[in-house]
Amino acid sequence: MTQAEKTEQEILKFTVPSCLEYIRPIQVFIGQLAQQLGFCRTRIYDIELIIDEVCSNAIEHGSETPNSGIDLTLMFDSSKLEIHVRDKGKCVQGNWLATGRLDEVSQKMTPDSERGHGIFLAEKLSDSLEILTNPLGGTDVQVVFYFSPSNDS
Amino acid sequence: MANESMTIRDNADAKIVDVNEDLGSYAAADLRKAIDRLINEASQQIVVNLSQVQHINSTAIGAMVGAAKRLRQNNGDLKVYGLADNLKRTFDLVGASSVLEIYNSESSALAAF
Repeated sequence: MTQAEKTEQEILKFTVPSCLEYIRPIQVFIGQLAQQLGFCRTRIYDIELIIDEVCSNAIEHGSETPNSGIDLTLMFDSSKLEIHVRDKGKCVQGNWLATGRLDEVSQKMTPDSERGHGIFLAEKLSDSLEILTNPLGGTDVQVVFYFSPSNDS
Repeated sequence: MANESMTIRDNADAKIVDVNEDLGSYAAADLRKAIDRLINEASQQIVVNLSQVQHINSTAIGAMVGAAKRLRQNNGDLKVYGLADNLKRTFDLVGASSVLEIYNSESSALAAF
């Protein structure tokens, strides 16, 4: 499977327990998929980093228990790889990063902040980042990576 | 002292933490615990060797930034060395390059104390 051969969009969906141990296998899987699709090494590194950041947020801030689970949806074709990560939220906290709160969090961030950089890495390293409140009371984070003819394949 | 992800060495000037695996969310917690333990044991000068690390996330970087801030309150410090290009880029993106002292080699990191 190469980027050139893939003209129709394919969709993969899977759910993993809300446990940090599962992040590395997910990274490896999506990293290998990105490699097969033709992304360059730097972009694959970025994709794997964003998976780590977004999934760890979903587990730490958007999952009540390990059994809550996080849902991943991968959509890819010849032009892009789109990754959606959905958590179910916590009873008390609800969605951990409500739509529109990104700017509020951003204003509090400084280089010596110990936490909170993950979602901004996702914003900086992806081509598109959307954060939505989902019907389950949790958060959907959607990132898109477009193929760049000069850098990829 | 050693576990799967890191080894701690004694040096005359500092404790050196050799990180032996990628620092994703799971291993970042181990790094934070190891550094906290050293600080609780009164270590004031810590060097983190990242030369074997291919991936790092913001949690691991945050753990080192937090430790450096605490150590500096008592005239200590945490310095890092051995960053591959991808790691250096991640440090730059989160702004940690302006907070942590980063060196190319262990000897230069130790000499900077």
